Amino acid sequence: MENEKMEIDGVELSMSDSTKTSEITSDDIPMEDSAINHSSTDGTTVDGENDTVYPIAVLIDELKHEDLSLRLNAIRSLNTIALALGAQRTRDELISFLDESIDDEDEVLLVLAEELGRFVQYVGGDEYAYTIIRPLENLASTEEPVVRDKAVESINVISDAMDQSQVEKYLVPCIARLSQGDWFTSRSSAAKLYPKAYVKALPETKEKLKIGFEKLCNDETPMTRRSAAGSLKDFISVLSPEDVVEYGIKNFVFLSNDDQDSVRLLTIEPLIEIAQILTGEQNLKHLSESLNKLCSDKSWRLARALKDDSLQAHLGEVGLQLMEDQEAEVRGAVCTQLAGFSEIMSLDTLIEKVLPRLQTLSEDSMQHVRANLAKNVTGLCEKFGPEKTVEHLLPLFLRILKDSFPEVRLNIISQLEQINKVVGIEQLSQSLLPAIFELAEDKQWRVRLAIIEYVPLLASQLGVQFFDEKLSNLSMAWLGDPVYSIRNAATVNLKALIEVFGVEWACKSIIPKIMAMANHPNYLYRITTIFAITTLAPTVSSAVIRDLVLPTVETLMNDPIPNIRFNVAKSLEALTPVLKSDAATSSLVDTKVKAILKKLSEDPDQDVRFFANKASFATGITV
Amino acid sequence: MEVAQVDFGLLDEWISQLFECKQISEANVKKLCEKAKEVLMLESNVQPVKCPVTVCGDIHGQFHDLAELFKIGGNSPDTNYLFMGDYVDRGYYSVETVTLLVAMKVRYPERITILRGNHESRQITQVYGFYDECLRKYGNAEVWKQFTDLFDYFPLTALIEDQIFCLHGGLSPSIDTLDHIRSLDRVQEVPHEGPMCDLLWSDPDDRCGWGISPRGAGYTFGQDISESFNHKNGLSLIARAHQLVMEGYNWCQDKNVVTIFSAPNYCYRCGNQAAIMEIDENMKYTFLQFDPAPRRGEPHVSRRTPDYFL
Repeated sequence: MENEKMEIDGVELSMSDSTKTSEITSDDIPMEDSAINHSSTDGTTVDGENDTVYPIAVLIDELKHEDLSLRLNAIRSLNTIALALGAQRTRDELISFLDESIDDEDEVLLVLAEELGRFVQYVGGDEYAYTIIRPLENLASTEEPVVRDKAVESINVISDAMDQSQVEKYLVPCIARLSQGDWFTSRSSAAKLYPKAYVKALPETKEKLKIGFEKLCNDETPMTRRSAAGSLKDFISVLSPEDVVEYGIKNFVFLSNDDQDSVRLLTIEPLIEIAQILTGEQNLKHLSESLNKLCSDKSWRLARALKDDSLQAHLGEVGLQLMEDQEAEVRGAVCTQLAGFSEIMSLDTLIEKVLPRLQTLSEDSMQHVRANLAKNVTGLCEKFGPEKTVEHLLPLFLRILKDSFPEVRLNIISQLEQINKVVGIEQLSQSLLPAIFELAEDKQWRVRLAIIEYVPLLASQLGVQFFDEKLSNLSMAWLGDPVYSIRNAATVNLKALIEVFGVEWACKSIIPKIMAMANHPNYLYRITTIFAITTLAPTVSSAVIRDLVLPTVETLMNDPIPNIRFNVAKSLEALTPVLKSDAATSSLVDTKVKAILKKLSEDPDQDVRFFANKASFATGITV
Repeated sequence: MEVAQVDFGLLDEWISQLFECKQISEANVKKLCEKAKEVLMLESNVQPVKCPVTVCGDIHGQFHDLAELFKIGGNSPDTNYLFMGDYVDRGYYSVETVTLLVAMKVRYPERITILRGNHESRQITQVYGFYDECLRKYGNAEVWKQFTDLFDYFPLTALIEDQIFCLHGGLSPSIDTLDHIRSLDRVQEVPHEGPMCDLLWSDPDDRCGWGISPRGAGYTFGQDISESFNHKNGLSLIARAHQLVMEGYNWCQDKNVVTIFSAPNYCYRCGNQAAIMEIDENMKYTFLQFDPAPRRGEPHVSRRTPDYFL
């Protein structure tokens, strides 16, 4: 017993010496049933009498190992060690050992901070929760922010398990120490601990905590102030309404006037929190001035948090200013809030004041501002309604559709659906289709792709005649696009079109054109015919396959390029089930399909043979 | 036949996993490299390639842009590919990139050819990222060792239909004929000098004759050199990679040489387009240019100039 304790405490412990560890019998370690159960579910071998100590020894040994991954592993298994040691020894020995070993790599400390947050059950339950505070307090002072944050998180978790007396006796002093630390690291951690402690503290301690937190809000380092601003929302949420007015607003106003914008930015959340607690009248009185100063896009959330007309009008003004802000980032961010605008402003104001500014924004020199506008401008459609959208917004959309930057064009195309919902397909096709057709030949293939994906919807709404007149050539041209993904999307598009217009239509206008492409001099385009055949097979009838498709397949099976031939083999996997499903064509499987497969399975190219064999296996045809 | 089938299944699994930009296990890399060695050993220093084929330049670990390349040019094995080296270093996904290409080579040796670039070397990869990436992603250098050992077997050059000569760098003053290249012992680390080094390091230049390369390895060669080399060996064109070109491809030396570069926005900051060269069955070639793939889950490096620089 004594022997092992030394080893735990000693920094240079050498537990890997198995002769030494084997001397410790299981009697030395108070092992509860629950521990055994738990460990065995973890897959650790602690069930054997003599084996019980060994894994623990190894873990403790690994805590000191040179290899980082082993140390990490050991820290992750801390609960096993703790279970084996029992609550008493975990408190007395393991915790203090961990406290001393705090000088490790950040990765290890991070995991340690996380594990300790779940440690209450291992130190003897809630009444001993305070024992874990000490190592976490040290972790909350480390240089690495990730470690500090995790430690703070864990302390807050543990504080849930503490009662008032523990909070008073252990947590509050811990917060006081951290708040008075020499470095901003501990002070910024401290700021995040106040809200939880405040809830459980005695009234007189509450007063002290308020003073302490205010000090952090006034801290000389922006890092600490930032942390205080970040935690202000939570702190306000636990204050009484009177305290919010007196104390909360004071600190909020102070931080919202910080000379660091990163601090100011963080005061939006507390502002919303305050606004939700206070009445509309109080809000106007206390917050409108700060709002004026807080010219940040995020403040738009407030518009929805508050149901106060005058404040909203006020916000609208701020928003209009932001649209003309000299920072492109701000202008771009305001664009993302257009839907919010339409909620808080009247239609007249939107047309009178917002629209001219949007026109300016659509010519903004920064492309990402225009891209943001394109993505969000359709959020106004609903408020505008069909008529006003056509009158006021469509000209704007048209201009955006012709933007020189592809992402801008792509963004508005992705919103076509929403425009369609408001103005209806008739209007849309009359006013926007010409612009869309131009984009169908856009230099950027992703723009073309977006248009293709929109075609089936257009087709279903506009009908066969319109399609044959205006979209048919386009749809076939895409099959010959230089970019593979467009050719591929074109075949999928045709499949969707056949589902809309029916097989008869397909036989007349589409399938002959696809089959004609089998004569293209470039194999990449001939292959498109085969891809199309494979894609369309489930959609067309067996008769069509027999009369129009199979002859082409039979030609292509003799193609000089092996890539065509093995795709012929692949296509048979899709064609065979359709032929089989119809008594009139099922005989073709054993004659024609089998003959093709037989020939391909004797091909000089190994890939052709492979796919032929694969196809005959998949279709159950033996050649 | 049975054994081969099983292997194909496994390879197909790896390839689809790699296509999601997920690395395969160290043990599987080992298996893959052993197989690849068997395949590549059989290839010539001047590997004959049939048309049609799509010729590609540097990739440099830009995995998402390689995926974009396949979106543009078509998938393997449907489209035939010839890659002219520099799969690793610089980009964040050298491991996934090179593993994918090697896996494709093993799965479809007739449909894809992968040449050696100057970055397919033990020395260079230790400086420019591949070594560190392997260490980071696998925790040890074993995968790096497997691949760099395999690189020794990559063919140095390829010859499309006896007409288009493809290689990573350029010509060498110690090589006059393709037969000379065929006689080199290529299974070794890229030497610091000599014919094998030059093939992987040289660049074309506006000046005539041979020049000293600013790279410190290989030479620069003028139009006179490429003209006489093409004439002597009955070639119509030298296609090579190795140099960043803003349009993705660049003709030079009176169309005796073309440079193809397939890493768009090289190093995530150069702002260049990438290109591939499709050669059809009638030896007609078309260049396809492309931009970087839209990024997800990768450090976003903005190409936008901040306001305060304007």
